[in-house]
Parts: sequence; structure tokens; C-alpha cells
Amino acid sequence: MAQKKGSLLRYLFLFLVIEVVLIVLSSGLNKQLQVGYDDTGKFVFQNVEKEYDLQDKIQEEFQPDEYAKQNGISPKFYGSSALYDFFAKIFGKANAISAFNLIRMLIIVDLVLLLVAFLIKKQLFEKPSKPQIIFEMIYTTFEDFVKDTLGKEKLHFTPYIVTLFIFIWTCNMIGLVPIPGFMEPTRNLNVPLGLGIMAVAVVHYMSIKTKGLGKYLKDFTQPLPPMTPINIVGEFSKVISISFRLFGNILGGAIIVLVVSSLVKFIILPVGLNLFFGIFVGTIQAFVFTMLALTYIGVEIAE
Amino acid sequence: MEQIARAAALLGAGICMGMGALGPGLGEGFVAGKACEGLARSPENASLITRTMLVGQAVSESTGIYSLVIALLLIFST
Repeated sequence: MAQKKGSLLRYLFLFLVIEVVLIVLSSGLNKQLQVGYDDTGKFVFQNVEKEYDLQDKIQEEFQPDEYAKQNGISPKFYGSSALYDFFAKIFGKANAISAFNLIRMLIIVDLVLLLVAFLIKKQLFEKPSKPQIIFEMIYTTFEDFVKDTLGKEKLHFTPYIVTLFIFIWTCNMIGLVPIPGFMEPTRNLNVPLGLGIMAVAVVHYMSIKTKGLGKYLKDFTQPLPPMTPINIVGEFSKVISISFRLFGNILGGAIIVLVVSSLVKFIILPVGLNLFFGIFVGTIQAFVFTMLALTYIGVEIAE
Repeated sequence: MEQIARAAALLGAGICMGMGALGPGLGEGFVAGKACEGLARSPENASLITRTMLVGQAVSESTGIYSLVIALLLIFST
């Protein structure tokens, strides 16, 4: 045990030494060390004065289309204009790059989920293996929530609820992977809005199915007939509130991480910020979205 | 004129965020305090109380999130 602790400390010390050496080599915080080959093929080792413009950085990260238009780099996006033209034809020129980023990230999240599902499926035994225990624990926890909220005979909602949680959680976590261009898909309003509309559609479908169409329509006029418009607006505000909550939390966290990292020149502090805004807030918001969808279903179905 | 509008938008974003953060801060603190009281009274219901507290805090947080969205719109789209 002591041996392990010592080696961990040694790694931390090594990391600190490397950071300090990098800072000293770049001689000052607003210069950046460049090691590599320049345009003419010559090996270079130089300090470059680098101007950090926060406004530009935020715009490049959060409004890529606007940034590309202002700097005139749009047709050569990712080295191929055919891809850009394809996306511009479907989504319009104003949204091409952000649509491409969003769809790429969604496909990556789906692939990760599929991969995990297949790997887990190989390890299902009578005597549970370690990953099986983790996933069964997640499933059982949410099954208990569904049992508490909807009752024992409505347990067939559990797969939907667990899928919602795992998808949103993976979406929030994928932004932590340090690969250029990776972002949380939930940072774009379209993803939470789609999930929210789906949740409310499930609520209304189950409401019609359990109550019958006549009682469903009659419930809109409760408690008095003049209240009907307010009830209808209330249904829309459900979608707005559930989706904007997820979107605002993730986007706000991402902006704060970017701004503070840019202020401290990306030294050490962003790790703690990512711990809080990425892992803690991401998990809490995924949980809250799931619980609210469950509560909406419970309110409509309750006798 | 352009610069006056920009300055007004930035000032408005600051005021919007400050006022919008007041309510959720008070509300979430109140919810957490009440949850502590509940936990002290009946520690066996810990998981139920924690879950209800988190959902209640998230709901009372939504006005703060709306003001954050409006502040971002003011900053980046004017």
C-alpha cells in the first residue's frame, strides 16, 4: 500500500516538474512554445507571441458558423468542401458546421452506448460478473423509483426511464474526453428540446390510453371551464422548462470552464472546474431530467 | 448609437444575471435547510429526502437558468 502511494506521489511530482519546465521554457505566460516543422519543412524551436482573445475563442467554440463566416474559412471546413456542401444543402448555410458537429457527437455517443451494450451482453452469467453488478444496480435503483412513483403494475416504464438517464449522462460526460472538437451534444438546444418533447408525448399518450379520450379532454377544463387556455399553456411550459434546464446548465458550465481556463492559461485549475461542472452537474442534471419525466407521467396516470 | 446599444445590452445582461440568481439562491438554500431538518428527525428516510430535495432544487433553479439564457442572448446576439 505504501509502495503504491509513493509511486502516485512520484507521478504527481513528475507532472508538476513537467508543467514548471514548460512554463519556464515558454518564458512568460502569454507566449507559446512551438516545436515542430514550419511551412518550409525546417525544424523550428521558438517562442511565439500568442494573443488570446476571449471573445474570439468563445465565438469559435459556441457559434462556429458565425466564426467561419467572419474569417472566411467556411468552404474548406475539415479539409473537404464536399462534406460542407452536403450539410449546407440540408441544414442551410447558417447552420452547416454546428449541425455537422452535433450529428458527429450524437453518432459517437450512440456508438459508445452500443459498444458497452454488446460488451456487457457477452458477460451475462448466472453468477454475476463485475460490470453486470454495476449495470444491474443502476437498473434496480431506477426500478425502485418507478415502483415508488407509478406503482407495481406500471413497471414496464423502467426501460424508457433508464435509457433516458444513461443517454443524457453519456452525453454530458463525453465533453470531458480531451479530443479537439468534442463537445456535449446537450449543449445544443435541439437535443434537450427533442428529449423533452418526447417525454411530454409519452405522458399524453399514456394519459389517453389509461383514461380514455373523453376523460382526457375533460381534464383540460378542470377545475373550471375558463381555465382551459391556462392548462394548454401549462403543457407547453412543461417542455420549455424541462429542456431549457438541461441546456442552460450544460451550456453555462461549458462557458465558465472555457472563460476561467482561458484566464489561467490552461494550468491545473480547469481540472477541478471540469470535476464540478462536468461530472457533478452533469450527473445531477441527467438525474433531475429523468425524475421530472417520471413525475409528469406519475401525475397524469395517477387515479 | 451602435456602441450605446451594445453597452446597454452588456449592462442588461449583468443586471439580469444578478437579479435572476437571487431567487434560486434563496430557494435552494431554504430547501437544503429543510432537508437537513427532515434528516435529523428521521434518518431512515435519507434516500427519499435527498431525492426529493434534488428535484425540488432543480425546479426552483429554473428561473435562474432562464435568466442565464437571456443574459447569453443579450451578450452574443446584439
